[in-house]
Amino acid sequence: MSLLEFEDVHQSYGDEEVLRGISFGMDRSDVEVVIGPSGSGKSTMLRCVNRLTDIDSGTIYLDGEPVTTPETDVNDLRRRVGMVFQDFNLFAHRTALGNVTLGLREVLDYSKEEARAEATSQLERVGLADQADSYPAELSGGQKQRVGIARALAMDPELMLFDEPTSALDPELIGEVLRVMRDLAEEGMTMLCVTHEMGFARSAASTISFLDEGRVVERGPPEQLFEAPEHERTGEFLERLTSLHGGQQG
Amino acid sequence: MSAALAPDVVLSAVVGGVDTGVVLQASDWEFVYRNRRFLLLGAGVTVALTLTSVVLGLLAGLPAGIVEVYGTGPVAGAVRRTGVLLRGTPILVILAFTFFVNPVNLGAFEAATLGLGLRSAAYQSQIFRGAIQSVGGGQMEAARSVGMSQYEAIRHVVVPQALRRSIPGFQNEFTIVLKDTSVAFFIGLAELITRGFNLFTQPGQSESVLEVILAVSAVYFVLTVLTNQGLELLGRRFAIPGTGGER
Ligand SMILES: Nc1ncnc2c1ncn2[C@@H]1O[C@H](COP(=O)(O)OP(=O)(O)O)[C@@H](O)[C@H]1O
Ligand SMILES: [Mg+2]
Repeated sequence: MSLLEFEDVHQSYGDEEVLRGISFGMDRSDVEVVIGPSGSGKSTMLRCVNRLTDIDSGTIYLDGEPVTTPETDVNDLRRRVGMVFQDFNLFAHRTALGNVTLGLREVLDYSKEEARAEATSQLERVGLADQADSYPAELSGGQKQRVGIARALAMDPELMLFDEPTSALDPELIGEVLRVMRDLAEEGMTMLCVTHEMGFARSAASTISFLDEGRVVERGPPEQLFEAPEHERTGEFLERLTSLHGGQQG
Repeated sequence: MSAALAPDVVLSAVVGGVDTGVVLQASDWEFVYRNRRFLLLGAGVTVALTLTSVVLGLLAGLPAGIVEVYGTGPVAGAVRRTGVLLRGTPILVILAFTFFVNPVNLGAFEAATLGLGLRSAAYQSQIFRGAIQSVGGGQMEAARSVGMSQYEAIRHVVVPQALRRSIPGFQNEFTIVLKDTSVAFFIGLAELITRGFNLFTQPGQSESVLEVILAVSAVYFVLTVLTNQGLELLGRRFAIPGTGGER
């Protein structure tokens, strides 16, 4: 059974239908990369999974259970689904360690000592143990994003959502974030990633979806989309992306 | 003397002073100096009233600001309308209600605290509302995304940052309340202005009005400067490292 499943999901802002019938499934340990032009609904698609945005119709299932019903415990759902944002959204008033401990303390009711130990090991996992006491404003973009990943991982999620995690970074900082993501993928984390880093997509993705105007236009393993796309638009878009973002191997 | 008659008396005292040509005189400064304890006790009441009013304003204004940003439904509507009403009412009218009209018989200090505190809450709610909105939705989304409830996110993520951003506005509000405690003169509270008034309206002292008023305003000025410096220190103490506020 799929870990995450979209079933004919529609979503609109006012009159503008942003998601126009999205259906797909991901198994545990899959890495799904979503690509598509700006405004095609990629962020919205991710936000529907953890209910930052509510859908109009259709169903999203996590581990077989519908999570888009009124009865769904939204806080519990969000605990089970980690989210990494394009512009980091680190808690500005807390240190790197404090960013990671907050959820542990408030949501998982860890004691102070337990939270500190767990947060330290999550920061180690992303290579930032030495920056535990730094505040977000004192970190580079790449370090901020790795703290963002550690903060999400600390909640022991079943699924991680990445919304263009490297788009706000200077080119030389992209690699360190992609490396962490690649490690996660190798550890078997299930990941739904919006990213235009084609090197990462080619080597780490199990499946790539091309989203356009709220529909999944084409979906398949990287080799298929890169070598023999069914749709002309997919090929054109991938070519453009590869010339822009093909360099980083992570 | 009835408190409500006081403004007339002030006017005649000042006009009388103009007639006789009020000038700075050593004997009047000496009169002020002789009554320094009397005036300083008034300053003490002023400081106490400022603190009680600002604290009441904070305790009611912070939740009101939060409700104005995140609240929905009739409670939020009631909070917003109460704020509009309080901000649209002259402070003397508010004091008239808390002291003269109020069916619960409050002392002048309590009535002044209630009036000034409620009005300050109405203004502070706007300071906090602006500060909360400036924190940005991304912080709330990040907090909710790890599974925090809205209350937890407000309490641990939004409010700590909003409070820091409120300090400049709060500094203003604090000094405004400090100087506006003088309106408690209207209900006869023996704070700084009232005591100054009592001095220069003593028989034969009408010419000391200028010296008394200058002395009184110097006290307000010193208190205002101290307040501002204290709050600035607080702001620097809690500045978030790396953001340039700590110097
Ligand atoms: N909160 C919102 N309110 C109104 N429209 C929105 C909102 N968020 C996104 N949109 C619109 O929905 C469309 C899809 O947005 P988004 O999912 O962010 O696209 P992408 O991430 O692919 O660039 C865009 O046209 C965008 O303007
Ligand atoms: Mg987007």
